[in-house]
Amino acid sequence: MHYEFLKRLDSYVPEHVQPVPAVPANLKDAIDAANLTEMWDMILTLDYSVSDPGDLTPEKRDEFLNVMSLLLKAFDR
Amino acid sequence: MLTRPNTHFSELGIKAIEKGLADPAVSAFYDSIMSTDADQIQQCMRPFLPRLSLCSDKMPGNAPPPIFYVGKESGQRHLFGEDWASPATPTFGLRTPDPDLEHASADGYRKALEGTPYYGYARTKIQVNGELFEIAFERLIVAVRPSLQSDLRFCAYLGVIQDLQRTF
Repeated sequence: MHYEFLKRLDSYVPEHVQPVPAVPANLKDAIDAANLTEMWDMILTLDYSVSDPGDLTPEKRDEFLNVMSLLLKAFDR
Repeated sequence: MLTRPNTHFSELGIKAIEKGLADPAVSAFYDSIMSTDADQIQQCMRPFLPRLSLCSDKMPGNAPPPIFYVGKESGQRHLFGEDWASPATPTFGLRTPDPDLEHASADGYRKALEGTPYYGYARTKIQVNGELFEIAFERLIVAVRPSLQSDLRFCAYLGVIQDLQRTF
């Protein structure tokens, strides 16, 4: 009985812990396929000062990914 | 009574920048871009990035290239607002929300993409969120590559709003 209780505790996510969304693989794949990887790296480095979007806060990561979605659309042929 | 057209776009040319007639921000960006080796272009852009808008090199239907990046302190973000500059769910590349301004500004992008930096002045009426404004601004557009070896190009736009008046 005690073990069942502990299992439930393990799955509990405290309110103050924000889930960290992963970078959608399909967006990065699409950027690479469109030959826009240099632009991804450039904006990430120059504006966000990181080399991996995983190092950004959730808000900044969303902002960066939105810019990348716009990038993909802007170069859509 | 003197009358003047509602819209006026004119190219001043890069000589005007070299003669010191441009806004200091435009002049600093131009000088920096022109004096930087192609393999250092990204580092050259870093201090100016907050004031820049970046767009692609595609001009479908002779319209200006879609914008993908709007700097936090750029004139376009100031003018068109946060919701326009940073859409929560982007469905299209960004375009100037005023169709007349969009149409009139295409020539500058075309010239920049042909290989010569474009520097010009514009005065026009624009509609933003249902309100009419008269705006005067200068703008520099340069086409650059992210690296020396890259076959990719994009346009960097630096606009400086000189005057903005609400009209009724």
